[in-house]
Amino acid sequence: MSPDRVQPLPLPVESSEPKVAEDAVPIVLVVVFLILFFCGLVYFDQRGAWFKPEVYVPYASITELQAFQPPTGGINLERGKALYESICGLCHNNDGTGKPNQAPPFAGSEWALGNPNRMIRIPLNGLNGSIKVKDTDWALSMPAMGAALSDEDLSAVLSYIRTSWGNKATPITSDMVKAVRGAVGTRTQMWTVEQLNAVQ
Amino acid sequence: MNYGPLLFLAAFAAMSASWFGFVIGPQAQLGRQQPAAMLGSPVTYPANRSGEARQGLQIYRANGCVECHSQQVRQTGTKLIVQLVELGTNQPALAATLKRELPSLPEAELTRAMEKLPAALLTTSARPDADVLMKAIAAAGGKCSLQIVPVGPDLERGWGKRRTVAGDFLYDSPVLPGYQRMGPDLANVGARNPDLNWQLCHLFWPRSEVAGSGMPACEFLFEKLPLGAVRSPDALVFPAGTDPVPGFQVIPTPAARSLAAYLLSLRADAPLFEAPFSAPAVAATSTNAPAVAPGSTNAPAPAAGTPPANPPKTS
Repeated sequence: MSPDRVQPLPLPVESSEPKVAEDAVPIVLVVVFLILFFCGLVYFDQRGAWFKPEVYVPYASITELQAFQPPTGGINLERGKALYESICGLCHNNDGTGKPNQAPPFAGSEWALGNPNRMIRIPLNGLNGSIKVKDTDWALSMPAMGAALSDEDLSAVLSYIRTSWGNKATPITSDMVKAVRGAVGTRTQMWTVEQLNAVQ
Repeated sequence: MNYGPLLFLAAFAAMSASWFGFVIGPQAQLGRQQPAAMLGSPVTYPANRSGEARQGLQIYRANGCVECHSQQVRQTGTKLIVQLVELGTNQPALAATLKRELPSLPEAELTRAMEKLPAALLTTSARPDADVLMKAIAAAGGKCSLQIVPVGPDLERGWGKRRTVAGDFLYDSPVLPGYQRMGPDLANVGARNPDLNWQLCHLFWPRSEVAGSGMPACEFLFEKLPLGAVRSPDALVFPAGTDPVPGFQVIPTPAARSLAAYLLSLRADAPLFEAPFSAPAVAATSTNAPAVAPGSTNAPAPAAGTPPANPPKTS
């Protein structure tokens, strides 16, 4: 009896190449990925600062970064209003309309809106003699009401006058006040209109 | 199964995406930075390092200092502190304003704040809150200052005043920000310890300056000579009792000098637009008011922890 011959197993027939199943991706997965994508976009929009090179962590946007910049010593019009109402308003009126036979108006006044170098000199040393404001002659004497104020305070109150009650002139900075104070020096005499008109 | 081109394209897309993200993107974002003006000053930052310090950067790189030292200070947030620095002329009005604006502050605290200037009134991270208070104080005639204080663990360790930004490395080639911290961060080492002799002693024998330091000694950057009759003026001066080589004098080589010059040039402490901060307030005196007499309550208080520059004479 011949020994049993082991029959080799038939080689598996390779039927075809494997193919990607044609089943669609589960809709749940699609939704999950879309939600994740959306969250990513929202996160990027809120924290990414749109690739601005100035913005680093911990700041999330250029707006947030700007909120942490040191204040630039601007003109404080609220301080100007408070000072105006406690010093100037008694005669010139709180609404800038002036008082008859006491003080000329500021609203629309060519002196208040005009050359800052002339305007700054008036509170610094006062004004004597007649002055023409809005086609009316005023013959008065104003003492140096602003001489005791600091440069910042005087610039605040003058800027308030120049930007209130419909006035739209450029504000006066404390540097401008400082320059005029330096130019005036130790003068104690009141100004006259002629002298002011000579100032450029 | 001939997906070769598809696989190639997929691999190519994956590689180029990371190349764009890691190389081209940052280059487009930060690659063209220019020196910019510091906050509140026309001086531009950064200044180029001296030639010696630039050579020192190469020594720093060659000796692998960057393997253990980072040069990146991190920041987790920013505080705003409103400080009252001047009371002005109408103190009752100011007190009323403060009481109105800061209802949560106890009255005793308020009185103490007004007596001892400068006094921190409000600590916040919301600028509008600070602005409202500052406007109210200014309208009442007082003066206040806004202090911008970066916060974070690195800053608490005293490693800097603000976070590190790309501009700090503007002139460095290569940029060596480091990636791990076996030793302390060095972004501001030149500001922390501007003593050249200290830096050189520390490089020669770190344990002489910092007990228990794990830093390897860079003795090979120095020359050890027998102490002759005349001591070299260049020889290191070790703190008393810590001389690691008694009987010898240690002379730094040019390499050690340039490395120390590089370390001293590391000071990323300029306030910048992208990393703002401001120094603690000193009580401001208005430009045309007479200077405040020392000893009055309006005198600037010395910053906490630092001795006054000119201690008032008591005699």
